Amino acid sequence: MELITTIKGIISLLVILGLAPVFSGLVNKLKAIFTGKIGAPILQPYYDLKRLLKKETINSGSSSFISNISPAINLVVVIIAAAILPIGFARPMISFDGDIILFAYLLGLARFFQILAAMDIGSSFEGMGAAREAAFSVFAEPIFFFTLGSIAFISGLTSIYDIYHSISLDNVSYIVFIIVCSISVFILAVSECSRMPVDDPNTHLELTMIHEVMILDNSGIDLFLYQYSSYIKLFIYAMLETSFFYPFGVKSYTVGIIIFIVVITALSMALAIVETITSRFKMKNIPQYLLFATAIGVLNLLIYTFTK
Amino acid sequence: MQNVLSILFCLSLFYLAVTSRVKAYVSVLQFQGILLTVLIVFPFIKHFSVFALILPATLFIIKVILIPRYINRIIINLDIKRTIDPTIQQFTFLLLIIFSMTLIFTTSNILSNSTDIETIPFASGFSAIVVGIFVIIFRKKLIIHVAGFLVLENGIFLFGTAVVSELPMMIEIGVLLDVFVVVFLMGIALNRISSTLSGFEVTSLDRLKD
Repeated sequence: MELITTIKGIISLLVILGLAPVFSGLVNKLKAIFTGKIGAPILQPYYDLKRLLKKETINSGSSSFISNISPAINLVVVIIAAAILPIGFARPMISFDGDIILFAYLLGLARFFQILAAMDIGSSFEGMGAAREAAFSVFAEPIFFFTLGSIAFISGLTSIYDIYHSISLDNVSYIVFIIVCSISVFILAVSECSRMPVDDPNTHLELTMIHEVMILDNSGIDLFLYQYSSYIKLFIYAMLETSFFYPFGVKSYTVGIIIFIVVITALSMALAIVETITSRFKMKNIPQYLLFATAIGVLNLLIYTFTK
Repeated sequence: MQNVLSILFCLSLFYLAVTSRVKAYVSVLQFQGILLTVLIVFPFIKHFSVFALILPATLFIIKVILIPRYINRIIINLDIKRTIDPTIQQFTFLLLIIFSMTLIFTTSNILSNSTDIETIPFASGFSAIVVGIFVIIFRKKLIIHVAGFLVLENGIFLFGTAVVSELPMMIEIGVLLDVFVVVFLMGIALNRISSTLSGFEVTSLDRLKD
């Protein structure tokens, strides 16, 4: 029994590593279809990654060892974070009391090294991007803690796997709670993965970019590591969102997998629709957009603290 | 169910804090009107009577159909620009609302220990009153002041349903009529102001003299 659980955990992680680029490809394809274009094939992220592997790595002359280690650290840390999240009702590879904090700070560590590496290169554009990333992540962090923290608070558990499986649907308020939480996690995903209302992943105008500008000077295997970790990161947040919907299935492995597939597809659709109908916010409007999600989290916490 | 509607009500208040369009204010008012109607209809599902439907029907007609239509017509007739002209940054405004809401929820929890009130609807109604006042204080456009007043009124309504389980219906209908008349008067006043002054902002009222 122990062995099967471990194998399921390993399979989950392999699925995440394998399918992460497909998700990005799917979002881009849907977005292209909604705007009346044919768009790149869904497997395009794989082709991009393959192309990057063949290229030579060139580092700026002013860069130090930080630039060399940062891409690898970034990917490894994101993979560890991915190992904490469950797919369906399979217990993830890493799961212990308090892993919710570990999860948040692993992603924080990845961001920290990316910011360091961006400043290490010595270009003013990268410095600007790093400053923006740091500034907006200040507003993004409370969203995670207020949203997941409020469920942790209600359930009294601190492991992501346990928290999600403690949500029961016999109370009507919980359904609203799930919907409300998934709105704020969606906003979190959009901001952390630099998608449309916060950042446009397709612009290559340095002054408007946040995430893309930080990796402008990277090439070859370094860029491969960054790109791959950003695909995994988007998939991780999609899974975080999906997890809210697991309680709708009876607790069986197969139904969990089906819910996973359905919600992931629906989410890619939602991301594509949001990216189609909204334009990028002005920089000064982003903090209030993120604070709105935090406000939802605070409201959750207040309501479930004071419900008798 | 009452809690669920109150949560949605609070969410609409947050939206009110971050949006910068006049039209969005009208839609939020409409949405709140629908929420309040559902809130009143809900207890009557079990023991249905035609007489009990008068208040929800009046509420629906006034809050969801008449007032938003009237405000929209004023917006079109007076050619009011679509931004709301806040006096403080939206970010600060939202922070202010979060802090006051936290305070209100904590206070009402303390209150609910000694008296018989439903904490969540009570606190949501109270928050709406405070947010309505904030909207009136921190926005320049007169039409937004009308919207702020209506949010405040919605708050009082929700507050009332939390404090007393069954309101005397005639009083509620009377209040609704009052609100409608007030909005009507404000509309006429706005029309008058527009024929005298070019702007629809509080700042331009400084120039008014006898």
